[in-house]
Parts: sequence; structure tokens; C-alpha cells
Amino acid sequence: MIEVRGLKKQFEGKEVLKGVDLEIYDNETLVILGPSGQGKTVMIKSMIRLMEPDGGEIYFDGEDIRKLNRRELEDFRKKIAYVFQNSALFDFLDVRENLALFLRMHKKLKEDEIEEKIVKALSFVGLNDDVLDKYPEELSGGMKKRVAIARAMIKEPKYIFYDEPTTGLDKKNAELVSNLIMVLKEKVSATSIIVTHDIELMEKVSDRVALLKDGKIIFIGKKEEISDETLEYLYSIGDTYEV
Amino acid sequence: MLDRKFFENLGEKGINFFTAVYEIFLLFIDSLKAIPKIWFYRRQLVEQMYNFSAKTLPIAAIISIFVGLGSTVQGTYQSSSLIPRYVVVNVIFKSTVIELSPVILALVLAGKLGASLAAEIGSMKISEQIEALETMSLDPVGFLIMPRVIAGLIMLPVITIFANFLAIFSSFFVSTVVSQWVTAHEFINGLKMDYKSFEIIFGCMVKPSVYGFFIALIGSYFGLKTKGGAKGVGESSTLAVVVSAIMIVIFDYYLGELLL
Repeated sequence: MIEVRGLKKQFEGKEVLKGVDLEIYDNETLVILGPSGQGKTVMIKSMIRLMEPDGGEIYFDGEDIRKLNRRELEDFRKKIAYVFQNSALFDFLDVRENLALFLRMHKKLKEDEIEEKIVKALSFVGLNDDVLDKYPEELSGGMKKRVAIARAMIKEPKYIFYDEPTTGLDKKNAELVSNLIMVLKEKVSATSIIVTHDIELMEKVSDRVALLKDGKIIFIGKKEEISDETLEYLYSIGDTYEV
Repeated sequence: MLDRKFFENLGEKGINFFTAVYEIFLLFIDSLKAIPKIWFYRRQLVEQMYNFSAKTLPIAAIISIFVGLGSTVQGTYQSSSLIPRYVVVNVIFKSTVIELSPVILALVLAGKLGASLAAEIGSMKISEQIEALETMSLDPVGFLIMPRVIAGLIMLPVITIFANFLAIFSSFFVSTVVSQWVTAHEFINGLKMDYKSFEIIFGCMVKPSVYGFFIALIGSYFGLKTKGGAKGVGESSTLAVVVSAIMIVIFDYYLGELLL
């Protein structure tokens, strides 16, 4: 379980997060919705200390991660995976090495075992072995996103964070990615936290929805519980984005 | 008349300068702290040692051959008939091995390696790849910076030794074969004259190690400080080259003063 209390973050005097409170239960998929520039990405990056929060408490399974030193933080991050908005595949490594990196560095596996896991992960995201030797620059946006999901899956994480997983993808790829998110959650029994402005994605994958506005969570609950007023607000956000 | 804004700008630039010096020092300390994990990051170290050596050999070869040729042509042209020719050879040899070859090579490699380091790390920074490393429980300093700093420290002397051999050989070739200004015997005598091992170690190993260290550390630092898009990457690369070049010439003077 993740508990966030009073999370604050500011940039050059501008408060982006003004005390976010949030509880995320095990094995659920929480979708965090909010307009652009409201601090959704800042929020999830602060939750795993990719950005240092200015205030507040963050507990993962009762452990206050703000108190972890560098080595403890590295150990903590072994149980989380993060799918970046622009995939963030390492451009100096081919797809095989992108997927193998975590296994090589942290698991004592033989080469054939690593290769087997890589092929499995790739086939899970619907890609063939022929992309293994390709570099990220040779892949389309949709393929990059799928490799990024395979890279997340290979860690067998307890928590998976997705930052705008369908942004920039066409409808077909966006659907494919949302299906993958659902299947991956079942496969690795992970808690999924998704920040997005894609309402279709929210409707498809969410167990609960949190709405971030002006640096605070203004609603959290099941999608069926969202009021008409909030729904109207959600659609007004959705209108401004390509879904 | 100097107005208030001038002093404000001056103060701001001064603060930025000392902040950068402090941050570079901290990056150096972090790199030192990552050294115990060197076996864990051995692949990255080997890769960077390759980048710092094999990939720079062609440019090092061209530079060193022409440094040798140029210094020989100048030395022979400027020499007086009152000075024995093997003495002139000795001056050419020492000025090339201790001063010209290491410094010119380091300045050229600051341009090649410093810029590419800053651009590579800078583009990783703006495309969230450095954060991706962190989410994979990898220390960006251990994975990216420490191997580069160690590679610079070790491989620049190796390239400089190779470059000095080529410079001396090209000098030998032009003075004994092409112009026949000295005989091979005189040339060898010139090399042997007043030979001090420490001077050669100083020119071939001490200076290049320091230069390699600065090129890698400063290139990495400006890469990590990159902001914005392609423009930011360009600015980081330029700053990395300029600051590395300044550090090389400053330390060239101080190392000579301290150690010779």
C-alpha cells in the first residue's frame, strides 16, 4: 500500500503540489487525471524520489521512503517500474540490451536465461525477435512504448508507474497499450499508478480515479462515483487533448 | 558610469561560477564514492576506455605527426650555426614530448571527447534516460560518470604515449631523411642528451592524466546540467569544450611550476 500525506513541491517559488494526500491500495489501478501543467508527473516522480519533494510523507508498505539513504533508495526502486512518457529507452543500447540491463546488473542469471526472459517479455507486448538488434531510433513511437512496457515487466515489479502511456499514440496503439496495462497488472500482480489525460484509458483500466487540480487532489473514488460536475470538468480536460 | 545593474550581473556571474566549481567538486566526490562499485560497472568502464582510446587514435595520430613535423621545421629554421645540431634535436624532443604534444592533443580531445560527453549525457538528461537509470536501481554517477572519469584518467596517457612516439618518429623522418639536416646518429644523441625519466613520465603520463580527468569530469558535469532541448545540449557541449580547454592551459602552467 502507498500512503502519501501532505506532499509538496515547488519550482522557483511556484507551488506545483500544495499538499497532496493519497492512499493507493495493493493490486489496484489508480488513474490520476488532471489538466496539463497541474503537476501529475511531478507528483509521481516525487513519490519515488526521482524529484525530491519539499514536504510531506510517502510510505510504501509502511516504509517512509523520504528517510531512505542512496543505497536503500536503490534497493527500494528494485520493486518499482516506471514507464516514461517518451519511453526513455537508452539510445546507446539496442532493444536486447535495454531489456537485459536490469537483469544483468541485479540478477545472477545466465545469458540463456536472460535471453529467454527478454523474448518472453517482447512476445508479451506483441513484438517479434527481429526488433532485438534494433536501436530505439529505428522503432516507431508505438513500438518504443511497448518495449518500455516490456522493460518494466521484466523487473517483475510490485508497483508500476505510467506517465501518460497513450500520449502521442494513434488510436490503435493507444488501445493496444491500454490492453497491455490491464494484462500486465494481472500477470505480475502489480499496483498500477497511471497519470493521464486520456479519459478512454481511464474508463478502461481504472479501479479508482484521482483528480488533481491546482496542486491538490479534489476527488478520489470509483469512476462510477464521479459527479456530473466533475465529469464535465474531466471532459473539458479531455477536449484539449488528442486521444 | 557603472550602474547598479552592472554590479548585479557581475555578482550573479560570480555566484554562478563558484556554484559550478562547488558542484563539479561534489560530482568528483560522488565519482570517488562510486569507485568501490567499479566491478559492478565494469562493462561501462571497458566501453568508455574503448571510446577514449580506439575512437580517438586516428585524430591523435594526425595531430602528433604534424606536431612533430612542425616543431622540427621550426626548430631547424630558428637554430643558429653556433649551437650543435644534436642540442637543437634535444630541444625539439623535450618541447614536443613535455609540452606541445600533450597540450595540443588534450585541447583537440577536449573538443572531441568533451563535446560528445556533454552532448551524450545532456540528451540522456532531457529525454529522461538518466531518471530511467535511477528507476532501474542504477546510480547515474556510477553508471555514467565514474567510468568516463577513470577512462579519461587512464586512457589519455596511453594515447599521449602513442602520440609522442609518432611525433618523435615524424621528427626523425623529416630531419634525417627528408631534409637530411642531421644524421640518424646525431638525432639519437640529441634524444639521449640530459635524459631525465621524470620529465618523460611528466609529459606522457602525469599531464595527460590530469587533462583526461578534467575533460571527462567537466564534460559530464555540463551534460548533467543540460536544460531544455537541442539548444540546451548545444550550449552544454560548447561550455564543456571552453571550460575544459581553459582548465588544460591553466593546469599546464601550474603542473610545470609544481613538478618540474
